[in-house]
Amino acid sequence: MLLGDVSETYTDLVTTVFSSTIAAKAWLASAALVLAGVQVTTAARIYGRLTFLPERGPAIARVHRWSGRLAFLLTLPVFFHCVTILGFQTPDARVAVHSLVGSFFYGVFVAKVLVVRDHSLPGWALPTAGLALASMLGVLWLTSSLWYFTTVRFGF
Amino acid sequence: MGRGWRPLIVGGAVAAGTFALAQAQIFAPSAPAGGAVAGGDVYRGETIYQRECAGCHGAGGDGGVGPALAGAGLDAATVLAIVRSGRGVMPAGLVSEAQEPDIVAYVVSLSAP
Repeated sequence: MLLGDVSETYTDLVTTVFSSTIAAKAWLASAALVLAGVQVTTAARIYGRLTFLPERGPAIARVHRWSGRLAFLLTLPVFFHCVTILGFQTPDARVAVHSLVGSFFYGVFVAKVLVVRDHSLPGWALPTAGLALASMLGVLWLTSSLWYFTTVRFGF
Repeated sequence: MGRGWRPLIVGGAVAAGTFALAQAQIFAPSAPAGGAVAGGDVYRGETIYQRECAGCHGAGGDGGVGPALAGAGLDAATVLAIVRSGRGVMPAGLVSEAQEPDIVAYVVSLSAP
């Protein structure tokens, strides 16, 4: 398959559900952001904060893990479109910030996953990595989905 | 070097790889479907279309206040002329000169039968 056909196939696939590829990205990123909120909330509970939530234990840990996995999966089509089709662009401040933060996003994601598995690191490393990742997703959402919903249209 | 640096090093490598991939734009279409438009980028054009044109022509080009564009079989010259001069209630100069190739590329792609 020619490389050019890949973007057309992707567009055809996405527009069977959404009105445009941009709308798809905006909604997928929004869903990922909601799940990132679940991640931060459940992580806070695991660390003994937010005591109004159900008792910490396997259920909270399971919700934390699966919300993270699902959020990661939701970002993949956005990654494909933004990185392999649109690329790094700096036509204005919004797009420049989005491109810059987006370039680092998966690097921070991988670092966070490695921090989870490395028990020799200091206790602050994991919450710092997790909050950095969630914050980056927030910035990416503000500079793309929020812009789309408020400037272009709010719809599928 | 201690193991503690591993997340930073691997994460930095992944970020560098992402940046390189973004520079390469390996799946960017070289020419829009339905006819080449010099310098036009379909995906940038889609953003402009959703902001400037979708209100009248519909998000998917199915029409609304303005005529349907999807499947209309428009060529680049026709689209460019309408974008520049307007037609009916559509005003001229809805997009900047710099945006013209992108919007033309997208509308030609959208209108491909």
